[in-house]
Amino acid sequence: MSRLILVALLLPFAGLGQGYQVNLQGQIQQGMGGAGTALMQDASALFFNPAGASFIDRSEVTLGMTPTFAKGNFVENSTNVSDGTTSPVGTPFSAYGLFQIKDSSRLKLGIAVYTPFGSTVEWEEGWVGRFALTRLALKAIFFQPTVSFRLTDKIGIGAGFVYSYGKVNLQKDLPLQDQDGEYAHVELAGSGHGFGYNVGLYFEPTKRLSFGITYRSQVDMNITSGTATFTVPASVDEKFPSGSFTSSLPLPQVLTFGLGVQANEKLALALDANYVGWNAYDTLAFDYENNTESLEDTKSARNYENTIAVRMGGQYKFTPKISARLGLAFAITPVQDGYVTPETPDANRINYTAGFGYKLNDKFQFDLSLLFTQVKRTDTNLETGLSGTFKTRVLAPGFSLSYGLY
Amino acid sequence: MKTTFTYLLLIGIVLVSCKKETPLDVGDVDARRYVAIGTNATAGFADDALHYDAQVNSYANILAKQLSSDESVDFNQPLLDESLPGINLDNNSEFILGYKTDCKDTTSLSPVRKASQGNLSAFNQNTYASAPFDNLGVPGVSILDINTVGYGNSSAGAGNYNPYYSRMTSSEVNGSILGDAIARNPTFYSVMLGDADIMTYATSGGTSGSMPSASGAANVGFDGTLDEILAAMSGTGANGVIATIPDVLLYPYFNTIPYDGLTLDADKAETMNNVFNPIGMTFEEGDNPFTIECDCNLPYKVRKMVEGELILLSIPLDSVKCNGMGSINPIPDRYVLTLSEIDEIQTKIDEYNAVILQLAQTYNLAIAQADDLINELKSGILYNGITMSTNFITGGAFSLDGRNLNPIGQALLANKFIEAINEHFNAQIPYADVTKYHGILFP
Repeated sequence: MSRLILVALLLPFAGLGQGYQVNLQGQIQQGMGGAGTALMQDASALFFNPAGASFIDRSEVTLGMTPTFAKGNFVENSTNVSDGTTSPVGTPFSAYGLFQIKDSSRLKLGIAVYTPFGSTVEWEEGWVGRFALTRLALKAIFFQPTVSFRLTDKIGIGAGFVYSYGKVNLQKDLPLQDQDGEYAHVELAGSGHGFGYNVGLYFEPTKRLSFGITYRSQVDMNITSGTATFTVPASVDEKFPSGSFTSSLPLPQVLTFGLGVQANEKLALALDANYVGWNAYDTLAFDYENNTESLEDTKSARNYENTIAVRMGGQYKFTPKISARLGLAFAITPVQDGYVTPETPDANRINYTAGFGYKLNDKFQFDLSLLFTQVKRTDTNLETGLSGTFKTRVLAPGFSLSYGLY
Repeated sequence: MKTTFTYLLLIGIVLVSCKKETPLDVGDVDARRYVAIGTNATAGFADDALHYDAQVNSYANILAKQLSSDESVDFNQPLLDESLPGINLDNNSEFILGYKTDCKDTTSLSPVRKASQGNLSAFNQNTYASAPFDNLGVPGVSILDINTVGYGNSSAGAGNYNPYYSRMTSSEVNGSILGDAIARNPTFYSVMLGDADIMTYATSGGTSGSMPSASGAANVGFDGTLDEILAAMSGTGANGVIATIPDVLLYPYFNTIPYDGLTLDADKAETMNNVFNPIGMTFEEGDNPFTIECDCNLPYKVRKMVEGELILLSIPLDSVKCNGMGSINPIPDRYVLTLSEIDEIQTKIDEYNAVILQLAQTYNLAIAQADDLINELKSGILYNGITMSTNFITGGAFSLDGRNLNPIGQALLANKFIEAINEHFNAQIPYADVTKYHGILFP
C-alpha cells in the first residue's frame, strides 16, 4: 500500500512559454519570437498591448489557431528505460474583435478570447512515472473585454477585464494493486474560474520607434467542486472514498516591456522582455471532502521562482502583400531543481520561430507561423523520487485570418 | 497554403519517432553462464511457500534478465507449475491477502492460504531431467549444507534432507548444491548465504537451530565453509558477487506486534493484578508489556516483556485476543526473542558479514549490500512515486509472511547486486525497473 497518500500534482506540460504558460496568442507575433508589445499590426494587440490597440486604424476581426505537436520522452536515470508521451495535438486558438465606434474616434472597444494554457499530456501505458502522472488535460479559455484609448497621437492607454474559465482532468496510478496486478487509479476532474485584468501603455514618439508596457495580473483558477474518482481494489474501497475536492492554480502575473522599431518601410523589429511572477506557484494543494487515514489532503511544494523571458523578431515586407518573419525567444525556467514533474518538465529554452503573412486584399490578411523548441531537463523530484531526463520537442504551426474594415 | 500546412503536419509526425537503444556494457563480467547459490530470496520463496510467481521474481532471475541484453535469458530455474499453488514443508500453499474472521468475530484483511493444501506432488518429482539448473537457491539451506552430498536424498527421512533440493538435484544420493553449481561451468556467480542460518534460529524464537560459529573448518564454521564454496566457484575462472546478511530483526516478522501491546481496561488490570501482584508484577490500565515464559528464577517462570524484545508474527493471535496469551498465560518462548537472543543474533550477523567482506576481497568479488537495503527500507525508500518500508503489508516490499521479500523487494535487492557489479567490474548493467514488479495484491 506504500504510503497511500495522494501525491498530488497538477498542471500542464506545455512545451511553450515557461511553466504551464502557453504563448501562442497571435500569429504575427509568433513569427517574431512572440514579441509584439510595441508593434501593433492587427487585432491581437488586444492581448499583447491593450493600449496599442487604439493605434490600429480600423475595425478588425482576427481568428487564429495553433495546432501544437508535442512529443515528450523520459529516460529513467538508473534503468535507462525510456517512455514517451502519446499526447493528442493541442489546439490553442485566439479570436479578437476590435471595434471603432465611429470613424477617427480615439476610442476602441474590443473583445479577446484566447487560451493562455490548455494542453493534454498523456504518458504511455505503464510508464515509470505512472505514480506521478498518467494524463493531464487542461483547458482554459480567457474572455477579455477591452477598452483602448488614444490620448494623443503618440500615447495610448488600454485596459481589459479578464474572466477565465477552465477545466482540468488529472489522472495517475496509485501504488496499490489488485489481484491481477492492476494498479489503482485516481481521476481528479473539475472546473473553475477566475478574474484578472490586462492593462497597457503605448508610446510612439516617432513613426520609427515605439514602446509598450503591459501588465497582466495574476489569475487564480479556483476549482471549488472537483470530483475525485478512485478506482481501487474492493478491500480498500472505504479508504479511498470518491468525492469532491477543491484546489487552486495560479496563472502568474506578467510585466512586459516592449520595443518596436520600424527600420524602414520594409523592415520592422520587435523586442519584448517579460517578467513573470511564477513565485505565486508555491504549493499545489488538494483538499478532499472525504478524508481518511489513507487519503489526506495534500500540499505539494512547487516552489516556482520569478523568471524572465526575452523575445525578439523581425518582419520583412517583400511586397505590400507579402511579409516574412523570423524570431527567437529565450526563456528562463521557473522550475527549480528537485521540482521537475511530468506535467511541466520545464527547462531553460530557446524558441525558434518563423512566419509568413499574405494580404489577400484590403480586407483579408492571412498569416502563418511556426514555432519549434526543445527542452531537456535532468532531475530527481524531491516528492516522488522520479529521477531521469525529460526531453520535449514541440512543433507548433499556426494560422490566422484577419478581416479588416476601414 | 494547404500544401504548406500538410507539410508542417508531416514534420510534426517525423519528430515523434526517434528512440535510442544503448548496447549492454557488462564490463569485466562474462555473463554467458550465470549461476546463483543461495537461500530463500535466491530460490524465490515468499508468502511462506515456494511458488511460481515468487520464483520468476527472485533477485537471481531479475539479475539474469538484466545481465542479458536480449529477452531470451538462459537462466534455468526449477520452476513449479504456474497453474498450481506453491508448497512449503508443512504442505501448505502460499499466502494471499484475503479475509479472515477472528475469535471475536471481526473480519479483516489478512494473509490466508491460497489453497487448502500445497502442491504436494512438487516434492515427489525431480525436475533435473528437464535441464540442469542455474538457480541453485534452496529455501532454508544452511551454509553448512551447500557442500553436503546427498542433501536431497529423500530416503534419509524427514528432517534429514531438504525436499526443495531433492526436486532439483542432479542425484539424490550423490548430488550436492555446490557440485551441481560447478557442473554448470559458471562464468559468473552470485552467493547469498548465511541468512537462513540466522533466520532458522530467529524465527524459532531462539528455540531451534544453532547458528554456526563464525570461524571453523569447512562444514563446521562459517568462514571455512564459505571459503570452500568460493574457492570452488572461483576455481572455474568465474567472477562473482556476494551479498551481505541484512539485520533480519528489522523484518516485519519481528516488528509487527509491539512488546507492550497488552491493552487492559480497569477491570482487566485489576484481575491481572489479583493474579500477579503476589509474585511481584503489577499492571496498569492502558498499554502493558505482554507476559512471557522465561528461563529464569522468577516464580512460575513468568515475566513481563521489556522494551527491545520482539514478538514473532507466528504467534497465534486468536490465543492472544481470546485465550489470555500474553496476559494470564505467558507467551511461549518460541514466539519471543529476548534481549540476550537478540544480542546473540546481531553479533552473529556482524561476525558473518565480517567474514563475507574479507573473503570477498580474497576472491575479488563484488559485494551486494543487502544489509544496506534493509536499513534503507527501515527508514523508508521512495522509488519513482512508490514509498516502501519494513512495515508489514503496508510497507509494500515484504511478502505476506513478513520475512521474505515480495517481487518489488526482490527487484530492489537485484539492484543492489547490479550496483555492486557495476562498481566492482566496471560494468553499466541497467538497473531493474522496480515499478514493473508487483507488490502486495489486494482483493
